[in-house]
Amino acid sequence: MTAQMMRLEVRDELLAIRREPATLFFSVLMPVLFFAMFIGLFGPEDGADAGIIASYGTFAVLAVVMLSPGIGLADARDRGWLRVKRVSGTPLWMTLLAKVIAAIPYALAVLLALTVVAVLVGSMAVNVGVLLRVFVVLVLGAMPFALFSLAVGARAGTTAAAAILNAILMPMVIVSGLWFPHDIMPDWVVSIGQFMPTYHLAQLAQAQVDGGPWLGHLAVLGLTTVVGAIVAALAYRSARP
Amino acid sequence: MSAILEVTNLHHRYGDVQALAGVSLSVGEGEFVALLGPNGAGKTTLVRSIVGLIKPTSGSVSVAGGDPARASVRQRLGVVQQDVGFPRTLTVAEVVEGAAARAGGDPGAAPRALDEMGLSDVRRRRASNLSGGQQQRLQLAMGLVADPVLLVLDEPTVGLDVSARRAFWATLAERRRRGTGILLTTHVVEEAAAVADRVVVMDGGRVVAEGTPDELRRFLPGRRISARTTLPVEAIRAVDEVVSATAANDKVVITALRAEPVVRVLLQLDNNLNDLEIAAPSLDEVLADLTSHRKKVAA
Repeated sequence: MTAQMMRLEVRDELLAIRREPATLFFSVLMPVLFFAMFIGLFGPEDGADAGIIASYGTFAVLAVVMLSPGIGLADARDRGWLRVKRVSGTPLWMTLLAKVIAAIPYALAVLLALTVVAVLVGSMAVNVGVLLRVFVVLVLGAMPFALFSLAVGARAGTTAAAAILNAILMPMVIVSGLWFPHDIMPDWVVSIGQFMPTYHLAQLAQAQVDGGPWLGHLAVLGLTTVVGAIVAALAYRSARP
Repeated sequence: MSAILEVTNLHHRYGDVQALAGVSLSVGEGEFVALLGPNGAGKTTLVRSIVGLIKPTSGSVSVAGGDPARASVRQRLGVVQQDVGFPRTLTVAEVVEGAAARAGGDPGAAPRALDEMGLSDVRRRRASNLSGGQQQRLQLAMGLVADPVLLVLDEPTVGLDVSARRAFWATLAERRRRGTGILLTTHVVEEAAAVADRVVVMDGGRVVAEGTPDELRRFLPGRRISARTTLPVEAIRAVDEVVSATAANDKVVITALRAEPVVRVLLQLDNNLNDLEIAAPSLDEVLADLTSHRKKVAA
């Protein structure tokens, strides 16, 4: 019964994303279009490596995983639909987990689309093993950010949630060097960026490409998960029914 | 009759506001209980405690022997709430399938529940595009799809037309026969009186009266007399056992402790008195009387 309940919860969440073309546009198409533009304008002349997926892919995955669950939760709360879920036999963790799981196929879709663009526009050489490791790290490593997204969705209205989540995501992405490399940024921005969990997610993905250190980045993401879980639980419990 | 719902000495505070002050009530297997009271009486807080939406400050709620804070206990509840909006992205059938799964039932039962509520024709439409009345019926289909032991209905007939109301009450009657307990909150007092086995009246966070509709009518002694007369209202008010008298259109409406002596005096005073009607007080009047004491004290 629990498996069936989970399957239908995830199905509802997947339908919610698929049947809202606007959500799909902002979370999947826009990052891909930006990426095509960046790689076309600033990409290396001798062909990109998977590192470009590690950095820009971090932004693209976070755009899906941070925006979709939180905005979906805020919308459900605004409509009163969350009250229906809360008086039902679905445990709270299942309602929230379904929102996060439903974001995963879209995160993978955006990574695949970025890869296709990197190959076609940036002449990226494909190493399937490396790319798969980058994909796994990015999708799993983005999960703690989904917890913060749910925390915002549990407290803010739909419109406010979208604005707040973008206001959190965009500065983190920029100071973490995911849009523009740290090489061209002032030192103080770089210093701030190194405190951001987004930076450590990108570095963990980059480590799959160049074999760099990874343990410290993993520890930061582990800590982010714990903090995210506490914040999400507190936000949800104090949210109005 | 074994109790499906048992509420014992429930208290709940919102900051300085005491929303519930020691409420106890029960609903038995196959019993239909109507919960009445003015706005702010505590009905919504009580319902939210029963369905597990809020944790009461003290006291206990038991649904089929379990705490509704637990998801497995809530699976045995069917709930119709006020102000529920459906997702834009799900069809009517998908919404009911999801409700069946959440209640631990078979999603394959959705077509039967939709048929029972007359929604089969719109099963492929987006739930958010239904009319208000259809959305109310959809909520009831969600509540019924997994055969709950207790139905909690918060103003369920709002937005339903006459034929939908009839079908709605017929559905509930059928579920009662199968042993489902029903707790209904409504502002339509006479509607509740027509269907409920027992009426519970709340005011100021407490239960102020409880009984069958007939028992409650006896709370308000006396009779309501209306007649066409040329007597001035002041003269009628002076008659023994008259509690109140008001002119309404070309008639006078009198509330009296007993009807017979008052009518006898009125006939002596006015030979032309006609259109005489004597009635027991309506449940609406009983409710207004029961819940007016607190306001009088507060004033």
